[in-house]
Amino acid sequence: MDIELSPEDLSFQSEVRNFLKENAYKQGDYNKWRLNWFKLARAKGGWDIPKWPEKFGGPGWSPTQHYIWEKQTAVSVTPWDLPFGLSMLAPVLMNYGSQEQQDRFLPAIRDRKVNWCQGYSEPGAGSDLANLKTKAQLTPDGKHYIVNGTKIWTTLAHIADWIFCLVRTSDTGKKQEGISFLLFPMKQTGIEVKPIITLGGAHSVNMVHFTDVKVPVENRVGEADQGWTYAKGLLQHERTGLAGISRSLVALESLKEQAKGVKRGNGTLMDEPAFRTKVAELEVDLMATEFTELRSLAAAAGGHNPGPESSILKLKGTEIQQRIQKLTVEAGGIYSAAWGAKPVGHSFARAGMSGYLSSRAYTIYGGASEVQKDVVAKNVLGIKKSGK
Amino acid sequence: MDFNLNEEQQLVQDSVARFVSDHYTLESRQSIIASGQAFSDAHWATIAELGWLGLTLPEAEGGFGGNQIDTMVIMEQFGKGLVLEPFYASIVLGARALILGGSDQLKQEILPAVIEGRCQLAFGYAEEQARFDLNDITTRAKVDGDMFILNGHKSMVQNGGSAQQLIVSARTAGAQTDTTGITLFVIDTATEGLDCSSFPTVDGLTAAEVSLNNVRVPMTRVLGEVDQGFAILQNVAMDGILALSAEALGAMEMLYKDTVTYTQEREQFDHPLADFQVLQHAMVDMFMEYEQCKSLLYRATLEVAQSGLAAMRTVHALKYLIGKVGTKIGENAVQLHGGMGMTEELRIGHYFKRLLVIDAQLGNSDYHLEKFSTSSAYQG
Repeated sequence: MDIELSPEDLSFQSEVRNFLKENAYKQGDYNKWRLNWFKLARAKGGWDIPKWPEKFGGPGWSPTQHYIWEKQTAVSVTPWDLPFGLSMLAPVLMNYGSQEQQDRFLPAIRDRKVNWCQGYSEPGAGSDLANLKTKAQLTPDGKHYIVNGTKIWTTLAHIADWIFCLVRTSDTGKKQEGISFLLFPMKQTGIEVKPIITLGGAHSVNMVHFTDVKVPVENRVGEADQGWTYAKGLLQHERTGLAGISRSLVALESLKEQAKGVKRGNGTLMDEPAFRTKVAELEVDLMATEFTELRSLAAAAGGHNPGPESSILKLKGTEIQQRIQKLTVEAGGIYSAAWGAKPVGHSFARAGMSGYLSSRAYTIYGGASEVQKDVVAKNVLGIKKSGK
Repeated sequence: MDFNLNEEQQLVQDSVARFVSDHYTLESRQSIIASGQAFSDAHWATIAELGWLGLTLPEAEGGFGGNQIDTMVIMEQFGKGLVLEPFYASIVLGARALILGGSDQLKQEILPAVIEGRCQLAFGYAEEQARFDLNDITTRAKVDGDMFILNGHKSMVQNGGSAQQLIVSARTAGAQTDTTGITLFVIDTATEGLDCSSFPTVDGLTAAEVSLNNVRVPMTRVLGEVDQGFAILQNVAMDGILALSAEALGAMEMLYKDTVTYTQEREQFDHPLADFQVLQHAMVDMFMEYEQCKSLLYRATLEVAQSGLAAMRTVHALKYLIGKVGTKIGENAVQLHGGMGMTEELRIGHYFKRLLVIDAQLGNSDYHLEKFSTSSAYQG
């Protein structure tokens, strides 16, 4: 057992650090800088797509190298990026898409030219995703699907160019069977996107209605009625990406700095035992979770399947993110109530409140925490339903 | 980065696990306690024969040169069996203090016998008014020629009734809570004026109240420098916390696994208890908290093995989490076992009691959280 980085890992770490420092945004046209950043990262040997397999141009990093990358990017300014095409659809295409589909969609995902959104949840299918009802009916000539139905909580559907969408193609058998995985453009007749404004005042999710949307059959990924299998693999991917440990480590340090800037009597908020204790409890949980993640990475490096550690990362990671947000609101005191365009009092308070309110979704999306616990009970603790 | 045990550690783990499964069914453990002995002499002899007493001690002192990781391996398995033999008191605390501060002559005199199991050690660091502060010491030592004369009281000394040599902290200078002016002494328990009155603790182990009444100790039996004993005390406590935490981890694993098994067997309302989601989630919480403790134990142990006292902050974090989670898992295991959880017949109650005591040893959960949150990182 040891926690030291090898000389190779250390030199990789400084290479990453230098790259991020040299290419940080300074001034000027942000979008130009953003696209150029990805080009430079690509020239480093696939640093623009760290998680893609080598076969598809990825860097082929070890788990330790991924960890180093996560840590370093969390403390640096990197261009904004969306997970939908890059981290969610791309693995599905790589595993189940045809050669033609891979050639058609992957390059534009890599170049950040096409924005994707995810059509999963429906008004009647949240945690119970397999209950989805959006229908895709084959035309008599067998060349198209006609899609009708409604998706909900569709993140960034209003800016997306394309959607990957779960639809029902058969009503016979178990509800997990009869689901297909379709890809189609968002900007076409028959698609209506309605904004949903969430508690933090932000517009990021939407309701999306489909009325007789025509989708060519060649836009179906994999076999008809087998989409659930592909979608499940994708959810696994989504869950591990949601723990956000590196970002939480950075956020916790900001929280401490913010609290030290809040005056109270002759001292600061950090001198108040009740508040300080909550920060300390949070930090201990984060320290433990950080090592839980390392254990999970080390197991993967040793060629083992991600152990039971990985199943708790989403649960613990999202809970920690929420606690940091909550303490930020507490640190803001009454100034957390100010809801105008500009912050009043403490500079962090306005964003703190909207961040906190948005964070309540962390334990809901990607499989609500209660559903995750059902999964852990079954798959990790081995508790089987008795059938009684 | 690597979280696997090396080949030797794996062998030790297997062999300690075998010892536990051969000798530590609940019945055999309870019969040792019922016999009125603090532990089994036969088991102690076996432990010595298997070489575990020297495993974590330096090669120069006749040991095998192991470190805190090896101690963790042993203590985790001992925790699964609720082992009674005083490896922790004699080796983790006692021998460690001797190694850090003993003169060559003193080490030669005592350590070979400790490694062979012929001599046992105990460490008296606590006093009633101190609660958990190692530096709060009223026991006094005064120079008299080439001797020290000690007067005072040491409290809750684990294995104090069985040890042949007792290490105590005493004040040689300064005010009651100063960190300088503390000196550590090794005292033969047969010395006149030393009284160790032993009693059982709730977890099946034993402790002693030690009174020192004009106890004369030669200068040669001082550990480290006079007045400078606090650093040794801190180092020993740090290793002690790691060992207790590893023991707690073993106990917690047994508790959550026993609970998962029991709730699938026990039926109420025509269902196995494990069919009920509220119980499933309670067990998932127990499992997750156990895994978090394991992660932090690895972290603290590896950091201490690498950088010693500099890792103290992580050790505070660990002892806080182990204390909090250990008692919580214990309480939940009893709750989910229902009435049966209240009986002495099942082993879960015994793990629970040990975890309660571990929380209070070397500073409880609240104490370490306070230490953690008053460290420099939290100062404006």
